Amino acid sequence: MKTRLKISVWLFWLLGLGLLILLGLGAGVIVFWKGLSVTHLTDLVPWGLWITIDLSSIAVSAGAFSLCAAVYLLGLKRYQPVARTATFIGLIGYTMALLTLLMDIGRPDRFWHAVVYWNKHSLLWEVTMCITLYLTVLLLESLPIFAQFEWLKKRWPKLAGWMSRIHHYAPYLAVIGLGLSMLHQSSLGALYGVLKARPFWFRPDISVLFIISAVAGGMSLTVFASMLVARLSRRFRVDDTLLERISFFIGWTLVLYLYFRFWDALSMTYTYQPGRTEGLQLLTHGPLSFNFWVGEMMLGVVIPMVLLINRSTRENSFWRMLALLLVVGGVVAYRWDTNLSGLMIVLSYLPGEPVVEYTHYFPSLIEILSGAGVVAYGLLAFSLGVRYLSVVDHGAEDAEAEEMRKVKKVTAEVA
Amino acid sequence: MSQPKLNRRDFLKVVTVGAAAVGGAQAIRRAAASEPIPSGGRQWAMVIDQSLCNGCGYCILACRAHNDVPPEITWNPVLEAGQVAGKETYLPRPCMQCSHAPCVDVCPVKASTYRPDGIVMMDYDRCIGCRYCEVACPYGARSFNWKAFIEPNPVVPEWGQPEVERRPRGVVEKCTSCYQRIDRGLSLGMTPGVDPDASPACVVACPVNARLFGDLSDPNSNVSKLLQARPSYTLRADLGTGPRVYYLPAVEEYV
Repeated sequence: MKTRLKISVWLFWLLGLGLLILLGLGAGVIVFWKGLSVTHLTDLVPWGLWITIDLSSIAVSAGAFSLCAAVYLLGLKRYQPVARTATFIGLIGYTMALLTLLMDIGRPDRFWHAVVYWNKHSLLWEVTMCITLYLTVLLLESLPIFAQFEWLKKRWPKLAGWMSRIHHYAPYLAVIGLGLSMLHQSSLGALYGVLKARPFWFRPDISVLFIISAVAGGMSLTVFASMLVARLSRRFRVDDTLLERISFFIGWTLVLYLYFRFWDALSMTYTYQPGRTEGLQLLTHGPLSFNFWVGEMMLGVVIPMVLLINRSTRENSFWRMLALLLVVGGVVAYRWDTNLSGLMIVLSYLPGEPVVEYTHYFPSLIEILSGAGVVAYGLLAFSLGVRYLSVVDHGAEDAEAEEMRKVKKVTAEVA
Repeated sequence: MSQPKLNRRDFLKVVTVGAAAVGGAQAIRRAAASEPIPSGGRQWAMVIDQSLCNGCGYCILACRAHNDVPPEITWNPVLEAGQVAGKETYLPRPCMQCSHAPCVDVCPVKASTYRPDGIVMMDYDRCIGCRYCEVACPYGARSFNWKAFIEPNPVVPEWGQPEVERRPRGVVEKCTSCYQRIDRGLSLGMTPGVDPDASPACVVACPVNARLFGDLSDPNSNVSKLLQARPSYTLRADLGTGPRVYYLPAVEEYV
C-alpha cells in the first residue's frame, strides 16, 4: 500500500514536470519560429527574464567547483559524497543556462561563433569560452556518476568501468574547474561592471559580489537538495554532520557577502551621480524596492545568515532547509535586480544636465513559459539522477571504493 | 635527512597559482596595450550645425531608403534639444563612429570592428544577436531586428534606392556613415563630403546644409576648417569614447 502511494506521487511529479517541459518546448518553438518579437524585450531593455535564469542557474551551480576544490585541493576528503551531488547539479545548471542562452540570442544558428571568432577583449567572449570549457569539465567529472547506472553496468560493464576510472583524474579536473569558475562566476558580474554607459553598473564590486553570492547559493542548493531527497525517500542516506558543517560555512559566507554589499551600497549614497543614484533609488525605494529589501536582503541574506550561524536553528533540519532555500531565492533576486536596475534607467546623451528616464519591463507569457520549461527540465534531470544514479547517497562511497578495488584487482590479474 | 618533497597537492597548488598569476598579468598587459587606430590615411568625421538644423527629418527618411532600414528602426533620429533665443533647436544623432567604441570592445564575436578610416563596421553575417553592444552603447545608436523586415520599404523609391542588403531577423544594426557610398565614390575618383554621390545620404538630403562630412586628417577639408573656425562639442565627451561626430552648438548670433 505504502509503496504504491510513493510510486503514484513520483509519477505525479514526473507528469507535472513533463507538462511544464512540453509547454516550454511549445513556447521555445514559437520563439525560434517568430523570433524575439514574441518577448517583451526592447532596445532599451534587451535583457530580461532569460538572462536572469542564465545568471541564476550558473550561480547556483557554483557548489560544484567550490566543493570539488574543498575535497580535492584542500583535502577535505569526507565531503566527497556532497561534492558528487554538487557536480551533478552543476552539470544540470550549466545545460539549463546554455538552453536559455540559445533562446535569448537572436541567431541561435550562430551559437558557435564565439568559439571560432575570438574577441579577447570581450568579457562575454571570455564567459562563453569558460562556460563551454567548464561544461566539458563537469561532463568528465560526472562520468563516474553516470557509470553508476545499473543498466549501463550490466549492458556495457567495460565502458562503465572506464567511465568510473576517470575519478582518478578528479584532482586535476578540480584545479581546472576552480580556475574556470573563478574566472566566469565573477566576470558574469564584471560583464555589467565594465559598462561605462550604465553608471549604476560601472563599479568593480559586482564581480566580487557575484562570486561570493554564487558560492553561497551553489552550496545552499546542494545541501538543500540532499536534505530534501533524504527526507522524501529512505533509500538514500545522507551524513548530516557534513551538511551541517557546510551550512555553517554558508552562514559565514553570507556575512562576508553582506559586508561587501554594505560598503558597495554605502559608497554610492554620498554624492549625486546621474544614473547611479537613480539606480540605487530603484532598489531602495523604487519599483524594485520590495525585491531588494524583502527578497534580497531580509529573506535572502539576513534571516538565513542568522538561522545558519545560530547553532540550534542550524541543527534543526526544518530551519536549516528553510534558510538554504531562502539563500537560493536571494541569489536569484539579486541577479534579477542587478540586471534590471541598470537597464531601467536611460541616461540621456544630450548636452547639459543629463536627463534620466525610466523604462519598465515585465516578461511576456512566452518568456515565462519557456523559462519555466527550462527550470522543469532541471528538476526532472535531478529527480532522475537521484533515482537512477544515486547522486544523493552518502553511503554510496563505500560501494564506489569497492568497485575501484575490484577494477584494480582485475587489472593487476590481467597484468 | 631527506629533501623536502613536493607532493601532488602542493604541486597542483603551485601550478594553479602560477598559471593564474601569469594569465592575469598577460590579460592586463594586453588590455592596456589594446589601442585602436587612428592610423594615417583618411579619417571620416561628420559636423552637424545645430544653428541650421530645423528638425525637418529628411535625413531620417533618406537614411531609411538608402540603407533599407525598417520603419520601426531609426539609425539617425532627430531629437529636440531645448530652445535658444526663443527658437527650438534639434540634435540629429547618427552613430558616433567612436575611436574607442564600447560596442567594439564588448562584442564577443568581433562582429563590430574598426575600419582604418574610422568607421565602426558591423558584420551582419557574424553577429549572434546577443545585444551586449546595445547595452554598452552610451548613445543608443544600435537597434535589434526583433522581427524580419519582409514588407516593401515605404520610403522607397520616394527618398532613394536601397544600396545595401537588408539585415536578417536577429542581428543588431546601426548607422555606418553610408560606407557603401564613400567606397563607391572613392573608386570613381570622387571626394566624399564634396561630391553628393560619395557622401552619406543624410548629408545629401539635408535641405539647409546642417550636416558636413569630410576627412579630419586633411587640414584643408571642409570639416577641418569648420572645426578650426567655430567652437564644437561631442556627445558625452566625459566617457572618453572619442566620437567622430561633432556638433556646432546653436548660439544666438547664428540662430
